[in-house]
Amino acid sequence: MPDQKQNLPQLYRFCFLMLGDSRKAQEVFNTTLREAAVRAAQGELPKEPFWLFREARWRCLEASKTDLQPESLKIDEHDIAPQAASQIKQLEPAQLAIWISAAPDPQRTALALFYLDEFDYLEILDIAELKLNTLSRCLAQGRRQLQAWLDAKHSGEPKV
Amino acid sequence: MRTLRLLRRRRALLNCAPISQNHPADRSMRAAVSREDGSDEFVNQQNFDRALAELIRLVPIPAESAEWFSENEAIRAPRWTWRKIVLNPAVLAISIALLVIAGVFAFHLLGQLNDFPGSATARKLLTVAGSTRSVMLDPVIAEAGTLSDLFFMKHGLEHYDVPDEFADFQTIGCRVFDDDESQRIAQIWVGEKRMQFFLFPAERDSKTGTVLAFPGWRYVHQEGWVGAVTEHNGVCFMAVLKGREKDLEPYLSGPKQ
Repeated sequence: MPDQKQNLPQLYRFCFLMLGDSRKAQEVFNTTLREAAVRAAQGELPKEPFWLFREARWRCLEASKTDLQPESLKIDEHDIAPQAASQIKQLEPAQLAIWISAAPDPQRTALALFYLDEFDYLEILDIAELKLNTLSRCLAQGRRQLQAWLDAKHSGEPKV
Repeated sequence: MRTLRLLRRRRALLNCAPISQNHPADRSMRAAVSREDGSDEFVNQQNFDRALAELIRLVPIPAESAEWFSENEAIRAPRWTWRKIVLNPAVLAISIALLVIAGVFAFHLLGQLNDFPGSATARKLLTVAGSTRSVMLDPVIAEAGTLSDLFFMKHGLEHYDVPDEFADFQTIGCRVFDDDESQRIAQIWVGEKRMQFFLFPAERDSKTGTVLAFPGWRYVHQEGWVGAVTEHNGVCFMAVLKGREKDLEPYLSGPKQ
């Protein structure tokens, strides 16, 4: 497995984006790597690429199953604004992680994997087991919703 | 309809366009991006994506989790060395099986290489030689070369001639018998190294009936016995003794195989 696909800092960030909570992310990250180390010692390490991320993804989904789930409300969507980059610069990473972790799956996985900037779209399709149309819809919708949230944040309006 | 599908696919690809140039895009992605490059909407999307990716790179890694980074080797699949591959039980078992198969194949191949017309009969006669006692033969004291006349006159066996190499040997006894294929076999016992001679009909082509001749001397082996066979006038002559080829070699002249 190439080193790039074993990028452990990125694996932690992925867990963090999926869970929006540093403590939970650490827990999933450590459990995933402990499991990997045991398998490696037994010579049973899966050969397929990205298996660490795939494993971590299922653990994250499992871990957030018991959490309070957000109500399914219609979330505002805005076109991406030219000033979006400067709006994002004012965010804290944890705020973004909380926003992404609150998204329903598979949008949550799609956004987390895509914005890690670690994989190309074909690899994301493989890890998240998605079709291109679904990934595209998740990302496009995610951008528009995030823009709406940024707009609301900066205008000070209370928004969902 | 097809154009609409293509447009939808291009749109879908653009939504997944790579954030940085780190990832080599496939051809369809490159084509979609190059068509849209420069449009306001796409530029906004790219700036938006880049800003988010930069923000995510700022996510701090807790010290406890960072400890894993130094132990990266622990979760790496063990490297396969040649030694490991060779000592793998499956590889070992397959290798041994292949060696055995190759050995059996080589054994058969070598056996067939040494075969010649009449070799099967010659081997059977080596067994006969091993089980024959001198008392079973009619006592005849003469030079082996002179027995041709005896075989012809008494048994009607034509061309049952002892080759010159062995013609001078003094005989102890001889007999003529039928083998299990009703072939007339002449057996001679000589005093020299308790050697035995066999004369038997050469193998013939089953369709044409012509003698399957072979040049020079050929060796056959069976249970510690060795025979040197030659063919002449449709009759094979075999000199047999208990021992190895090198024990027979001094008596033979001409090409040996």
